[in-house]
Amino acid sequence: MTKAVRDRPRGTALARRVAGHVVRGLVMIWVVATISFVIIREIPGDPVQGMYESLLQKGMSPDQAERATAVLYGFLPTGSLWDQYVGYMWSLLHFDLGRSLSTPGVAVTSLIGSAARWTVLPVLAGTLLSFLLGVIMGVYAAIKRSGKLGDLLALSGSLLHGIPVYVIGLLLTAIFTTLWPILPSGGPVDVAFVPGLNAGYIGSLIHHAVLPVVTYTLASYGGWILAMKSNVVAVLGDDFILAAELRGLKRGIVFRYLARNAILPLFTILALSIGMLFGGSIFIEEIFNYPGLGLLLVNSISTRDYALMGGTFLVITVGIVVANIVADLLYTAIDPRVRSGEAA
Amino acid sequence: MTRDSAAPEVRVRDLTVVYKTPAGELPAVSGVSLTLTPGTITGVVGESGSGKSTLALSLLNAVQPPGRIAAGSVEIDGLGDVLHLGGEDLRRTRGRKVGYVFQAAQSSLNPLKTVGKQLLDLGRSHDVADLRALVADAKALLARMGLDGARVLDSHQHELSGGMRQRVGIMLALVLNAQVVVLDEPTTALDMITQATILRIIREVHEERALTTLVITHDVGAVAEVADDLAVMYGGRVVEHGPIAEVLGTPRHPYTQGLIRAIPRLSGDISLARALPGRPPTLGTLPVAGCVFRERCDKRMEICETVEPETVTYDGRTVACHAAGRPAPVKRREYA
Repeated sequence: MTKAVRDRPRGTALARRVAGHVVRGLVMIWVVATISFVIIREIPGDPVQGMYESLLQKGMSPDQAERATAVLYGFLPTGSLWDQYVGYMWSLLHFDLGRSLSTPGVAVTSLIGSAARWTVLPVLAGTLLSFLLGVIMGVYAAIKRSGKLGDLLALSGSLLHGIPVYVIGLLLTAIFTTLWPILPSGGPVDVAFVPGLNAGYIGSLIHHAVLPVVTYTLASYGGWILAMKSNVVAVLGDDFILAAELRGLKRGIVFRYLARNAILPLFTILALSIGMLFGGSIFIEEIFNYPGLGLLLVNSISTRDYALMGGTFLVITVGIVVANIVADLLYTAIDPRVRSGEAA
Repeated sequence: MTRDSAAPEVRVRDLTVVYKTPAGELPAVSGVSLTLTPGTITGVVGESGSGKSTLALSLLNAVQPPGRIAAGSVEIDGLGDVLHLGGEDLRRTRGRKVGYVFQAAQSSLNPLKTVGKQLLDLGRSHDVADLRALVADAKALLARMGLDGARVLDSHQHELSGGMRQRVGIMLALVLNAQVVVLDEPTTALDMITQATILRIIREVHEERALTTLVITHDVGAVAEVADDLAVMYGGRVVEHGPIAEVLGTPRHPYTQGLIRAIPRLSGDISLARALPGRPPTLGTLPVAGCVFRERCDKRMEICETVEPETVTYDGRTVACHAAGRPAPVKRREYA
């Protein structure tokens, strides 16, 4: 109706909000990058200097050793700290995170890139699946809260919320690979198939992804159902639901009022957990030998691969920062109170 | 007083509503009979816990669990016994036939939707064919109440003040042309000026549309402004009912007398206002036998301990008290 009149100021406010977020996010990323640079450079036993010196000891000329180290870390080890910092930031701006130590010569970015493939899809699938399942079951548990079914659902939530993810993972592995061996125990795909868009390869991918995805779903389902149930119960007690019923609104419309108000707070958590998925799930990837970001991070720590470590941290940071921005914008889009800036 | 043949009569008969508590089912409303004369505003006053809101919800068969309507009937002209309605029939009655202005009108709107969208939801729920006309009606009603209709319809709840929300609540109760309107505490939590405005609006719209209106409040002063009839509730019973000027002028029940004495006067000594001694009964402390008011009554007699006073009607007024003298021949005039 008179929407256009109101959209104008709202539009500029939105643009300002986005700009603010982007600036804050960039600052955040810069801070984390700086910290990871300082850690790599200043950590006791200075890995950069150590590398340089060990190359010297192997009989390399200082020139060669310097170049070899620079290739690995992306900056020269001999310059002043400031020169190194500028060099590091410069390569960062070109999306160059240096090279891995443990897999010599391979760029950190390409390691992260190939690991991300194995993390993002399964964890995303697990997150969305558990969210959908938890939200639907949560509504059910809230509506049937005085009956047996509601109790049972709430109990399933508490139980699964309480069991650590690695226990769920090991249990599922024991059941589906040993007791009733219908699923592969580990690895991302059967090597017998030629990678590509053929049925066998894709089928094998899905077959291998079942256990990790199910584990992830079960592990986070508990949190969603409990949160959704308590939100629905709270909104059911709100006056506007009774008011809507007393105005004779159709059941479907009242249900939409209820669901939309109850689900709202969960969207922030959802966006944040999608941001977190760039950290991978260390336990799940360990158990199922899935070469994702979590496993990459663990390996980089155990091999003291500082360049890889710093790069992985940076990617996780960027993921969370972006998720934060998305969460806030999402909230702006769905909650009019935030839009007009009354409630933060 | 506008008496219009279009306005329906509402007859509450022997209504008993119980609430499930750990101590068993306790009555919040016991055996209430009340007739709302077509085209009048009836005020219901009483302290917190006297069963006013439960009575109001019963008119829409909307008593919330753990409450339950145990007995009685609520007949509305053209609708029959509302308590026998269920499912879709009941839903269609609510909003369309009986408008309800919520006790907490401050928070009776969905915070995520504009008023206009909620108005459309209301229209669609009641199969209004011409939604454009509905919006026009809503704007006219809001303008009638001194608001900018277009702006209000385009606003969310949090963008409106308390008084504005209250008026939106009244608009939503009236926009489908309900002939019976129930207002539960319509002016509570509003400042004095807004209160006066809302009361004036209620009176005006009531007369314009020839409604049968029930106003629930704990504020005798507020109800005196608008009502034609007054019902006084205590402990889940209507203890006195009649034309408001008479009930307030010559109260017959000791509780009504106490209520009026408790109102501070603008002129004169403030100490003349005397609060009723004691506290109103709660569900658990209601006496099982005898008069529910006897603990706080200054006219208490022996009979009050054991026998619950009958509701008697004379001179067009009803009262339930052993101490209120009963005239020799009981005229059976319907004013229950």
